[in-house]
Amino acid sequence: MLRIVGGQVYDPAHGIDGVVQDVCIQDGRIVENVDAAPTIDASGMIVFPGGVDVHTHVAGGSINFARAMTPEDHRRTTAFIRSQTNRAGVGGMTPTTFATGYLYAGMGWTTVNEAAVPILSAKHTHEELRDIPIVDKSCCVLLANNEILLDLLEAGEMERAREVVAWQIWASKAYGVKAVNPGGVAAWKYGKNAEQLSEPVDGYHKVTPAKIVAGLAQIVDDLGLPHPLHLHCNNLGVPGNLTTTLETMQNLDGRRAHMAHLQYHAYGGDDWSTMRSEAPQLADYMNAHRNFTTDAGAVLFGDTVTITADGPWQHLLYKLTGRKWGNLDVENETGCGIVPYTYRPTNLVNAVQWAVGLELLLLIDDPWRVFLTTDHPNGACFWRYPEIIQLLMCRDFRRDCMAGQSDKALSRIHLPDIDREYTLYEIATITSAGPARALGLPRKGHLGVGADADVVIYDQDDDVARMFGHPRYVIKGGEIVIEDGDIRATPEGRGLLVRPPHDEQIEAFLRPLFEDYYTMSFDNYSVEMERIQQPEICDCIDTE
Amino acid sequence: MSAIRLTLKEQPGVPLETEVLSPDALADLAHDEIRSLPVQLGKRRRRLDDFFEIEGERSDEIEVHGDLSLLKWIGRGMSRGRLTIHGNVGMHLGAYMTGGSIEVHGDAGDWVGAEMGDGLISVHGNAGGQIGAAYRGSPTGMRGGTIVIDGSTGLEVGMRMKKGTIVIGDTAKDFAGLQMKGGNIVLLAGAELRTGAWMIRGTIISLKPIAMLPTFRLARSYNPEFLRLYARFLSGLGITLPCAADEGRYDLYSGDVSVPGKGEIFVWQPAEAAASR
Amino acid sequence: MKIGATHIEDTFAEAFPMRFARLIVTAADDHWLDMACREATGFATSVIGCDAEAGVEQLLSPDATPDGRPGAALLFFGFSSEPLGKALLARAGQCLLPCATTAVYDGLPDAEKRVPLGSHLRYFGDGYQKSKVIAGVRYWRIPVMDGEFLVEENAGVGEGVGGGNLILQGETQAQALAAARRAAEAIAELPGVIAPFPGGVVRAGSKVGSRYKQLSASTNDPYCPTLAGHVETKLHPAANCSYELVIDGITEAAIAHAMAGAVHAAAGELPAITAGNYGGKLGKFHFRLREVLGDSRSGE
Repeated sequence: MLRIVGGQVYDPAHGIDGVVQDVCIQDGRIVENVDAAPTIDASGMIVFPGGVDVHTHVAGGSINFARAMTPEDHRRTTAFIRSQTNRAGVGGMTPTTFATGYLYAGMGWTTVNEAAVPILSAKHTHEELRDIPIVDKSCCVLLANNEILLDLLEAGEMERAREVVAWQIWASKAYGVKAVNPGGVAAWKYGKNAEQLSEPVDGYHKVTPAKIVAGLAQIVDDLGLPHPLHLHCNNLGVPGNLTTTLETMQNLDGRRAHMAHLQYHAYGGDDWSTMRSEAPQLADYMNAHRNFTTDAGAVLFGDTVTITADGPWQHLLYKLTGRKWGNLDVENETGCGIVPYTYRPTNLVNAVQWAVGLELLLLIDDPWRVFLTTDHPNGACFWRYPEIIQLLMCRDFRRDCMAGQSDKALSRIHLPDIDREYTLYEIATITSAGPARALGLPRKGHLGVGADADVVIYDQDDDVARMFGHPRYVIKGGEIVIEDGDIRATPEGRGLLVRPPHDEQIEAFLRPLFEDYYTMSFDNYSVEMERIQQPEICDCIDTE
Repeated sequence: MSAIRLTLKEQPGVPLETEVLSPDALADLAHDEIRSLPVQLGKRRRRLDDFFEIEGERSDEIEVHGDLSLLKWIGRGMSRGRLTIHGNVGMHLGAYMTGGSIEVHGDAGDWVGAEMGDGLISVHGNAGGQIGAAYRGSPTGMRGGTIVIDGSTGLEVGMRMKKGTIVIGDTAKDFAGLQMKGGNIVLLAGAELRTGAWMIRGTIISLKPIAMLPTFRLARSYNPEFLRLYARFLSGLGITLPCAADEGRYDLYSGDVSVPGKGEIFVWQPAEAAASR
Repeated sequence: MKIGATHIEDTFAEAFPMRFARLIVTAADDHWLDMACREATGFATSVIGCDAEAGVEQLLSPDATPDGRPGAALLFFGFSSEPLGKALLARAGQCLLPCATTAVYDGLPDAEKRVPLGSHLRYFGDGYQKSKVIAGVRYWRIPVMDGEFLVEENAGVGEGVGGGNLILQGETQAQALAAARRAAEAIAELPGVIAPFPGGVVRAGSKVGSRYKQLSASTNDPYCPTLAGHVETKLHPAANCSYELVIDGITEAAIAHAMAGAVHAAAGELPAITAGNYGGKLGKFHFRLREVLGDSRSGE
């Protein structure tokens, strides 16, 4: 039991905008009232629902490969020294599992969605998610380059494809469906990519990226998944890719989709030297089409490591940088590429990328449909979110950051003309209420009665980045986990799952395919329920 | 100002981290302050005088005596002064150093001069592997300075080094010059297998025939002018590099073409051998 | 004052501050070294019409060169470092790089001001060039058909003096010419100076300006014997021929020393030795003949 007294509460889901009121907690939930409970005096403080990250990469084969590839970063980063409450670990570009939980909770985030899980490495992913303490976790399974599904789409067997997807979601103990560079990763196995939405994917005659996207979006809706198709478009990062992005969105024809990290998909120009921001055009489209949500995938200058299932893009990035390159092939399902990268303000392309992320956040007018992410660790590490909040809330700070940029860079972006400054209410929307709603998590992202008691309390501070970087209290499931920068407790987080109904007969179809095409036996493929920590099966919804 | 003299009195049971044994750390300290400097023994923190008899103070000339095989990080990051070791020494000697000189009358462990920027390290005995190398994951190894090992060395000498000189008096084990980006490795007595594998740039000079990877192509034989300058530089370190045309010539191998690289391996062919081929 | 029969006029040579570079050129043997030196210091008599004034300062024995081969120190003078740098690049690129077996090093390692040398010439290597840092100095190795052309990254530029001079006047052309040659040979022996004109001697001594607007300099008519009936001649009454020696040096002292050596080598039979000046208003350095010869009786 806990009563938070006297804080200014920001709860956008209930239209509460800085009202001083008490928040009461009992048994891990928000309640109307509690008697004789311990209190936190939050006078002069700001109370937010715990942050929700709709798109991040914190567990599984690819981030782990990235960890293995960047020991130099581990040497230079500050370590978490083991204590009574926390385990040892390191932060940096690719924090270790336990440190990931400490760092997310340390800035007030209490729910994260791991955005890219191949079924074949789902066991590993869930093992790592178990080791990320405090926060609740969901994950999206990669299906847009799955050979079994592509074969079914090629044959036009949509019914069976839907059953397979339902089975695959449960087999991987996932929460949503992710599409990455639809068809492109499959083509990458032949050294190709999928750059045109309407051209057949290498190795197929009929299947095109457009058909994969439309088919998966339809299946996700048919299954009633609470989170819409989580879509990473074709041609990520390529100058002039706005055309592809808009075509993809038009191709969805009114169906729901979460457009991942749109920053990487909003470029004009013909090549690296003419690349420019097309964020206003994309924002206009987002504003006019309410079937979409998106997250920014914002970029901050500095060192990071890029990891994505988009293998062909990563090969290109490796060729551009000449740095390390990791490439993983996940048989029949997907792939993964890893390249350490440094975003530099003096680099024209990077300067445009930096601006585009912020422009999207500032130009998409509905904060319920655009969320704060960096596509961690691709655009920047998640622990740098407070810097982005400062950029969104302080126009002058944005201007200062642009002061050193070249006229050439400034001529390619729109940020200097944007005056909008986010309010705290809007920040609470893009960091918590909005992503929780987009994920379809009814007990997250708000402080109404019945909500999970994930609450973060900030000291008021004119230095926005400091304020959001160092919450005074973080409460997870009713328990104080962070107080004044110290880790007080590290409870286990929950694993959020869905179980879309499927025909058990589908196993009879899948089993022989495994015997023919997989190195793993069918019986070893599914993730057992025992691997999921504190599983919570969320309801499917009626999407009509 | 006489040298600070340290003599090992107790052999540690597990490796002891002694980055404080460096002129930068000791030069301004009084005797008592030196004695109480922290050293890490496994996960426990101990005092320098738990392990050493210490004489002298306030000097950037340091002499260390004893079998220091289990002492790591001696001279780490040092930028000045002179460090002389009478005895064997453990891993990471002179790693990250940017100046000054280290002389070892004995053997040294792995990672001598790893990622060093400048300065001179000479080891009169044998040394381990990864001399002047990049630490795991780092893009770049030593960026300058000179390492001279009189004896033999282990694997991956000069891995990813970018500048500077490494001279190995006796045989170097496999992968000398692995992923080398620049600088020079001089192998006075040749090397074992896969010398120069993945080298991008830089120069390896071997005075003895070595097994060449198939991804190195023999260009031609000649007497490079720059080696005359380099020989003069090496003679200052007491090392003789033949370069006159009447003594012989160098076979130039280019590679590693699998990278593809612009590296080069020069193999000395003494005059008689060159004539009889 | 007199040396032998030679009258040393009480006048001064007027000289100017110049920038200079010193290149050390080496080659496989003396023949190719000679070729390199001639080419690199050719067409370099006067900055009135050439990109630089150049000459061989000294020949160097193998043990005095960076690479242990026969070498020479060449001096190049220009009015400022920018045109001097251009001249160096052009000369190293067109005369030394193509010359068989040569290598080129900087001879002013302590000079702070640097101009590019190998750092520009390297592009001839078309991407196959390599650099080496040896004892803190970067060299470029440019692949060429006889092996590699080795050239230092950059060259130092120093502040020197240009325009030290003597005018030797003879009773006959033969007498004046023999004296001029002795003087030029004396200068050639000395460090720190060059005499950039052919054989160290110039017959076309010049004055500032001309009746033709487009010319900035023209023949030094007071010293032309054939004009003695037209203009107010400055020739000694007994002189029928004169030659000038022009000396560029790395310091004022080097020029003074060279002038003294030249006078002693030339004087004896000549009727007179004088020096050229412009009244003392143009040049910063004045070398009074009697001072450089150590005669205390000289003075204004």
